[in-house]
Amino acid sequence: MNHQPFEDWLLEDEPRTVQQERELQIHLHSCTTCAAIADSNLALHSRRLVAPAPGFTERFRPRLSAWRREQLRRQALGTIVLVVAGLAFLYALAGPSMQEAIRSPAAWLRDITVYLVALFTFLSVFGQVGGILLRNLPGLVPPAAWFAIFVAGCILGILWIVTMRRLAGAPQGV
Amino acid sequence: MKDESSLVVQAQHGSEAAFTQLVEAYQTHVYNLCYRMLGEAESAEDASQETFLRAFQHLHRYDHVRPFATWLLSIAAHYCIDRLRRRRFSFVSMDQGDDGDGLELPDPDAPRPEVEALRHEQREQMQGLLLHLSSVDRAAVVLRYWHDCSEAEIADTLHLTVSAVKSRLHRARRELGRLWHEEGMRNNAGRRRHESPAF
Repeated sequence: MNHQPFEDWLLEDEPRTVQQERELQIHLHSCTTCAAIADSNLALHSRRLVAPAPGFTERFRPRLSAWRREQLRRQALGTIVLVVAGLAFLYALAGPSMQEAIRSPAAWLRDITVYLVALFTFLSVFGQVGGILLRNLPGLVPPAAWFAIFVAGCILGILWIVTMRRLAGAPQGV
Repeated sequence: MKDESSLVVQAQHGSEAAFTQLVEAYQTHVYNLCYRMLGEAESAEDASQETFLRAFQHLHRYDHVRPFATWLLSIAAHYCIDRLRRRRFSFVSMDQGDDGDGLELPDPDAPRPEVEALRHEQREQMQGLLLHLSSVDRAAVVLRYWHDCSEAEIADTLHLTVSAVKSRLHRARRELGRLWHEEGMRNNAGRRRHESPAF
């Protein structure tokens, strides 16, 4: 028998028959390549776990505490930056009108009332126009177009579900 | 140790004490993987500590369906692979072996001292040869032979397919055999050089 099947036997973890084992032992006496693979297999199978030096957990605790302190410091810093930036933004937006309100409160109140009335009127008109459109749109769009919109929506929905499933099924890690 | 899953849940809620118990339980597995991957006790210690820290940081991502050990080993393996990639161009001495702080665990079924000494020598040689493999192949071999992981578990840990794991293991073992053969030839040649010609 030639060299290849013996090498394959050695490189596969499958159990061997008594006959195969006997043939392999004979081959190993004449083939240094296979003998080396067999020896390296033996070394792999006589492996021993190496443990860390004693006190690993005690050495880990300060590292974990330091990380947690750093996290808290970053969170605090982030909150401060966010609050300061928010206040600055608010001041930039409302600063001029606040100064005006302090200078002449009556004029400021009048402006605010006018603004609110305008806003309310706009929303009311917008609602009425929307209502009219909704009442008349079904008659304007042909049934085939509604069907096409419905089918497109279904396809997009299925695509979205499939994508989410595939992403959620991806191997987790860090 | 209390029930592992309850410790994981407590740790996920921020309990350092529960996480410390998990560290205690898995320190040897994680350290051994890092040591076999990096080949130095000091780097292995640092990598294992970093692995546990990353595990704590990302504990909310842990899926309870998956074994906790596999998840931890996955973090350790990827961390070591990244670390090896970063230092790819730096020289790694083959003599860096058990001269660090790592402790080889005693074998309760230890055979005769001379056989044990021979096996120890073989393990040392194997550790040196492991460092010649690519980082992913090395991780696959260590997970298979030191941590008794199945091919499916290795695939899950290293984010590979099962067939890719099989082919990597096959290739790595052939390469280890070749290196073992070369090392044996070199040792024999060295021994012959130092022998007296009269004998």
